[in-house]
Amino acid sequence: MTRQMKLGAFLWATGHHIAAWRHPKAHVTAGIDIDHYIQLARTAEAAKFDMVFCEDAAGLREANVGIASQTSRSIGFEPISLLSALAVQTSRIGLVSTASTSYNEPYGLARTFLSLDHLSGGRAGWNLVTSASPIEAANFGSTGLKPHADRYERAREFAEVVTGLWHGKLGASGHDGRSFSVRDPLDLPRSPQGAPVMVQAGASDVGRDLAARTADVVFTAAQTFEEAKAFYDDLKGRLAAYGREPDDIKIMPGVAPVVAETEAEAREKHEELQELIPDDVGVALLSSYLSISDLWRHPIDGPLPELPESEGMKSRQALVIEQSRRDNLSIRQLARHFAGARGHWRIVGTAAHVADELQARFEGGAADGFNVMPSYFPGELDAFATLVVPELQRRGLFRTEYEGRTLRDHLGLKRPV
Amino acid sequence: MHLAVSLNIAAASGQAILDFGQISSFVRKAEAAGVDMVIISDSADKPSSSPFEATTLLAALATVTNRIGLVAGASTLAHQPYNLARRFASLDIISHGRVGWNATLRQNPREAGNFSRPEGFSDDDFRRRAREFINIVRALWIGWGRDALLFDKAAGRFHDPDMMHPLNHVGEFFSVRGPLNVARSPQDRPVLIISDPAEADLDLASGAADVVLIEGQPSEALKVAVGDLKRRAAAIGRKPETVKVLATTSEPGIDSLQALLESSGCDGFNFVLPADVPGLHSFADRILPELRRHGITGQSYRGAALRSHLGLAGGGDQ
Repeated sequence: MTRQMKLGAFLWATGHHIAAWRHPKAHVTAGIDIDHYIQLARTAEAAKFDMVFCEDAAGLREANVGIASQTSRSIGFEPISLLSALAVQTSRIGLVSTASTSYNEPYGLARTFLSLDHLSGGRAGWNLVTSASPIEAANFGSTGLKPHADRYERAREFAEVVTGLWHGKLGASGHDGRSFSVRDPLDLPRSPQGAPVMVQAGASDVGRDLAARTADVVFTAAQTFEEAKAFYDDLKGRLAAYGREPDDIKIMPGVAPVVAETEAEAREKHEELQELIPDDVGVALLSSYLSISDLWRHPIDGPLPELPESEGMKSRQALVIEQSRRDNLSIRQLARHFAGARGHWRIVGTAAHVADELQARFEGGAADGFNVMPSYFPGELDAFATLVVPELQRRGLFRTEYEGRTLRDHLGLKRPV
Repeated sequence: MHLAVSLNIAAASGQAILDFGQISSFVRKAEAAGVDMVIISDSADKPSSSPFEATTLLAALATVTNRIGLVAGASTLAHQPYNLARRFASLDIISHGRVGWNATLRQNPREAGNFSRPEGFSDDDFRRRAREFINIVRALWIGWGRDALLFDKAAGRFHDPDMMHPLNHVGEFFSVRGPLNVARSPQDRPVLIISDPAEADLDLASGAADVVLIEGQPSEALKVAVGDLKRRAAAIGRKPETVKVLATTSEPGIDSLQALLESSGCDGFNFVLPADVPGLHSFADRILPELRRHGITGQSYRGAALRSHLGLAGGGDQ
């Protein structure tokens, strides 16, 4: 059979567009409505998506309450309880959640995901992240925010303990390490799929190494084909050092499509969403990308002022400045441009156009599949499921039936011994 | 009278483990019989043979039931207060206000060994830490005002910034800024249950718990224990009837239970069930109908929320 792409449906409350919740067709109470999520998961399952995926943070997303109150991101479901509910309301689709190694213990986390795996008959996956947000750190004051290298040292040990517990490979003496000690094997039976699927999203050098060592799936953000291809080749190239083969890992960049029957309709829909971004929300997000705090002092319809080089996100700052000069954009226009897709790859157009773009990256060796980030729910997931998925299926690029029962089956991953 | 059933999901040795279908079918029978709540215990002293962890199982059960209260055990040793508070707040939203937390106050050496605390805590430290933990969780649960969420698309106001209250807790064992990133629970606070409190835990139990479970004991001793808890609650300004005392029993002899209820002043009973299929069938098919014949169960639920079933103050629809 020809190689087919993997698809994740990235669920996030009202939608991935920063102003999604204000869209007339967005389900505004998504963050407190379990039936909404059950419906989304069933839509994704009917479309044969490999998995639904949930993000997570152990704290608010935005420190400024005035800004936060104009977005829908301060409240939502805790993802493990959400996915456990979805586990018995679906039968095939994979259920993947983010959970941080910074503020959990490996024994508890391994046990919880394994329980989700049993509830779902082998469809669970864990997206390993470390926490870099000071807002989260303040909720766990006894541990505090650690430097990057320390966070990854802890994450590496955490991953080793979790996989050791899942694979039943924890030694008779247990684990006694730098950050964790664990005495017993896990007290639940072995996973129906051998072990839950391990997902990672880190893009730094140390993050890529950890992924090459332990991940089954890697999520990533890439704007251009060249970026995506470079990441893909680099990560696959690291696998041999750990005795793994290129196909042992599936690389799935995020993609934020706005799709409609006609190109004009898609553009209109996109513009409608962009117009809903409150100026101060857009400027606040732009400020964070530029690592400055007083952007709001400058006229919003004027150009970006000259900025000192930052110690923050250097590459992101350079990207914004370059775009503002190249396209001669005002602060407002820039803010809308970056606030909308959160820096992810955006495709606006017909199903054929979206399929063309995905196909080019997939066949060009820059992706094994994609994590789809609908701009608002439920409408844009429905649009992808009813317009893009059939187009991909017509082209033989995506399954028409699930190959098996477990998430490992869908992803074509080896079952761990 | 109130009725709870405790289900230790880890099967006794030699028994086949319970699968989700068997557990959910039992819980639905208990719901049909008007049982107030089912309490899923977790982290047994000995290795579990169940495939499930209690809070994940609870989320799944919430989607296949409508009325019955669902309570999960979770220890203060195996969790961080912020994480545990949002797990239960989320479960309460999933279940539309039917969830409770059975806070385990016994230090389990096995748990300490698996959660990077091989030496455990001294009894005194453990107790002070547990008290701080429980109070943080309770405060986080009400960090969002009742009407904080506005959902005002036109004006661009998702929530009212003045109705979001950070906690800013700085204590002996934890510091937690808050607020939760989960909305206020439909019951304001999920129901807090404290099981078998030791003498030193009685103030915490009478001050913070909605339900206190007391190990089975003779009528006179039970009466003393119930009276003591209610008096302590009254002494700090709580209405004594807002602390429900359910005595725990494993041998449901209906006539003696009724006598015990009358003589001890307790609010109801918690039946501890064996985690095997014959045990569940026997309870559902034999004991529940007998309870109904005696008028102990069979009344319909008073509302949708667990607090309503229990006649407790707080949010929900009582």
